[in-house]
Amino acid sequence: MSLDHSKSTSQQRRPDWAALAIAVILVVIAAVIFFDVSRLKGTAGYSQVGPATVPDWIAFALVGLGIWTAIEAFRGDFPARDHQQFGPVVWVVAGLAAQMLLLKTAGFSIATGVLFALVAAGFGKRKLWITLPVGIVLCLGIWVIFAGLLQLSLPAGPLEQLFL
Amino acid sequence: MAGIAAHRVMLLSQNQIIASNGRVLEDIPLKHFILASLVAGALALPAHAADYTIMAPAAPGGGWDQTARSLQTALQEEGISGNVQVVNVPGAGGTIGIAQFASQQKGNPNALIVGGYVMVGAILTNQSPVTLKDVTPIARLTGEYEAIVVPASSEIQSIDQLVEALKKDPGAVSWAGGSAGGTDHIAVGLLAKAAGVDPTKINYIAYSGGGEALAAILGSQVTAGVSSYGEFEAQVKAGTLRLLAVSSEERMEGVDAPTLKEAGYDVVLQNWRMVAAAPGLSDEQKAAVLADIEKLAKSPTWQETLKTKNWADTYLAGDAFDAQLAKDISATETILKDIGLVK
Amino acid sequence: MTTFEFLLQGLLSAMEPINLLYALVGVTLGTAVGVLPGIGPALTVALLLPVTYRLDPTGSLIMFAGIYYGGMYGGSTTSILLNTPGESASIVTALEGNKMARAGRGGPALATAAIGSFVAGLIATLLLAFLAPYVVQLAIKFGPREYFALMVLAFVTVSSAFGDSALRGLTSLFIGLAFSVIGIDQLTGQTRLAFGVPDLLDGIEVTTMAVAMFAIGETLYIAAQGSRGADIVEAVKGSVWMSAADWGRSWKAWLRGTMIGFPIGAMPAGGAEIGTFLSYATEKRLTKHPEEFGNGAIEGVAGPEAANNASAAGTLVPLLTLGLPTTATAAIMLAGFQQYGLQPGPLLFATNPQLVWGLIASLLIANLMLLVLNLPLIGLWVKLLTIPKPWLYAGILVFATLGTIGANPSVFELGMLLTFGLLGYAMRVFGYPIAPVIVGLILGPLAEQQLRRALAISQGDVTFLVTSPIAAGLFVVAALAFIVPLIMRIRGRGQVLTQLAASED
Repeated sequence: MSLDHSKSTSQQRRPDWAALAIAVILVVIAAVIFFDVSRLKGTAGYSQVGPATVPDWIAFALVGLGIWTAIEAFRGDFPARDHQQFGPVVWVVAGLAAQMLLLKTAGFSIATGVLFALVAAGFGKRKLWITLPVGIVLCLGIWVIFAGLLQLSLPAGPLEQLFL
Repeated sequence: MAGIAAHRVMLLSQNQIIASNGRVLEDIPLKHFILASLVAGALALPAHAADYTIMAPAAPGGGWDQTARSLQTALQEEGISGNVQVVNVPGAGGTIGIAQFASQQKGNPNALIVGGYVMVGAILTNQSPVTLKDVTPIARLTGEYEAIVVPASSEIQSIDQLVEALKKDPGAVSWAGGSAGGTDHIAVGLLAKAAGVDPTKINYIAYSGGGEALAAILGSQVTAGVSSYGEFEAQVKAGTLRLLAVSSEERMEGVDAPTLKEAGYDVVLQNWRMVAAAPGLSDEQKAAVLADIEKLAKSPTWQETLKTKNWADTYLAGDAFDAQLAKDISATETILKDIGLVK
Repeated sequence: MTTFEFLLQGLLSAMEPINLLYALVGVTLGTAVGVLPGIGPALTVALLLPVTYRLDPTGSLIMFAGIYYGGMYGGSTTSILLNTPGESASIVTALEGNKMARAGRGGPALATAAIGSFVAGLIATLLLAFLAPYVVQLAIKFGPREYFALMVLAFVTVSSAFGDSALRGLTSLFIGLAFSVIGIDQLTGQTRLAFGVPDLLDGIEVTTMAVAMFAIGETLYIAAQGSRGADIVEAVKGSVWMSAADWGRSWKAWLRGTMIGFPIGAMPAGGAEIGTFLSYATEKRLTKHPEEFGNGAIEGVAGPEAANNASAAGTLVPLLTLGLPTTATAAIMLAGFQQYGLQPGPLLFATNPQLVWGLIASLLIANLMLLVLNLPLIGLWVKLLTIPKPWLYAGILVFATLGTIGANPSVFELGMLLTFGLLGYAMRVFGYPIAPVIVGLILGPLAEQQLRRALAISQGDVTFLVTSPIAAGLFVVAALAFIVPLIMRIRGRGQVLTQLAASED
């Protein structure tokens, strides 16, 4: 909450480039589906609806929705968007990424403790020397309960080895 | 399985855990639980030289998982191994598990994997880069035979009448069974071929699990049903399903139905389960694992397990098993090509 | 002995003080584990089943029933308070429930969920006791074409969960449908859209997607609002308890939810979440306060929660009468039954009446215990929202990832959690509703498979789809559900609804 580098620029110009980008993404997804299912063998058996039919329907619908989205983008029909602060988002994403990368090596408590501290930082609690130990201790407690008592398979690292 | 994960059917033994999405967590041996509730530290067990880790390449509850857990219990109780862990890696007919096993356990003499006939088909249909050649098959442990049933209200009274209908119009005979390319599908393909019907013409309706297929058969949504005999046993005994034939070599004890062979169709199909070791073992290491499994198979604990679980003892090891396995793989490849599932 | 006497006997033994204590311990444990996002009732029961092994059969059966109901209820608490539905059946609860919680009405939302669950559980368990053999006959009449018709009805009706823009609602739905075709096609065994990644062969987990889209997407969105969002959450405004108006609006929704949920749960391929979708759509159509839907309408919590619990009791119908475990939860329960010597199958009611009725009595007692435990706790639960945001959201993400890691400790799964979390965030920014993605992911494969099965059985004859009376009836209802709102919109929707409301009053 301490950092607030907001520059209030209204994005409501015409055309709405972000909405156009969404339209393009929808068409790209449709293209990927068309391409991928085109290699499926036509083993529909006795049903005329085969493995590729439904994906094709979905892809057609996505193309249609892409066109519709593009039209709305040009007409500026998309709702106004709140300004987003990307700093906090980066903190939270970094927390999730750190947990993912640390999980196997550092174990559940350290990895998830780091996640805890980084998310708290994203929400304005930047004192990592407080949040990190709190997070790790909390997660170790969770680990003892869920992995120790309930036998949930949460990866063990150096900290957890002390309790094994 | 996305979306229908919650509907997947799993049968469990007592010491298992499953996520709502059908994935395995871990097994909870009761004694561990009690120990854990007393002192967390008391869980630590002394390490043994022959501490096996068994991978069950499936979610808990299915045949492979039950086999792995029964092996765990028997190996420990017979003192063949001090501490046995079971790890579940579910997915794609065991191909995800076997791929992980082959790459991570190379040369590890303490790693075992449970597998079975379903894997043979799954490897072919999924075009898995890792095959059974990339592990060291040790022994076949048990097997189940396929059964063909119709609802009690069906006009079809015998396997011959069913085949007659199939010959007349293969599309009009719909078969409910497990996933496409699985043992049930293969059984129907083999029967069609033996009866002189084009296997590509069979009208096979794949269901996600025993419960859903069984409901379709009981509700007469399909002409006939195919699955392992155990799935149908309770319904057959209650008289809601009519058992037409089984896929065993000889008549099954206590089962009032002919074998397909007796009925004149040369189809013998066993949905077997095996245990395999890691790739890259020396001959001595392989011999040591084989000796342990041999000891296990002969042990009273294992024999008792087979009896209570109603599993047939189809133990086969060594060169005889290797030969049988090679035969099964080539036969399966042929029939899957005939059905049109594998190019 | 008659049915009634068996039930009475079961109830009497279940009401012994020690057994009541076991029931209380069961629901407490079940609720505690069930609140974790990503850990649904199936996993909760599986995790806690060994706890029951040490008790005598009656006590163990009762504790088991308590865990089952507790695990099911636990999911709704987090859905309502934190907008993090951890399983597919409580997604709909989050739609209105969390809006209520944000408006300071978390207390009534939790209360209507708890009481609705109780009412639905009570009625549905009684229906199970007295009607199971008849219901199951109807349930197995449902073949692929009837299921397909049901899915079409579900698709049409859940459009009411799409929010205010048809374009963005449909886009969300089709994104969900696009994700739903990833993996091995069950009917032909061929791989679709997995791009050679083995982890994708079995498709995308609904729970992973739901936790990511709701819990992580929401956290990212709140974080991106910075200090501006600080005062959105008010823990309590007005009473923690339900007002007379809340009661008046809830009780019909409970009953309707029960009537929708129970039969759908009893169908071998029905599924709890479909009942909740249909119940939500029904409540939205029938409400006298349409303007509140999307902003925290109590009917939108009461109905789906009742449907969810009723469908759980419905699941026991095929399980006990036919031995068909139709959901993961039912499969785990089967494992539980086996330890009591119950072998579910067509002859169960005849061969093991004591145990079956003991189980049904236990379910009734556990259901009551759940209410006893949860009503006093509501005041405490809503206090959760007063935790300062950094700690609250850090805690939410710890628990959200804990559920996923516990279910499958794989780095790939965590990667998907992050990716879908970012997708959920982006969709929030651009005003796309989240629920239709999950709806598409759940309903897509069901509808596709049933359609293809039906057409295979009929050898391509499309008329087969509508020639069964049940399927035809469902298609007619679906058509009406599609056309009537269009007509009402043309004639001026608000006006018609006001007239309807006025004429009823």
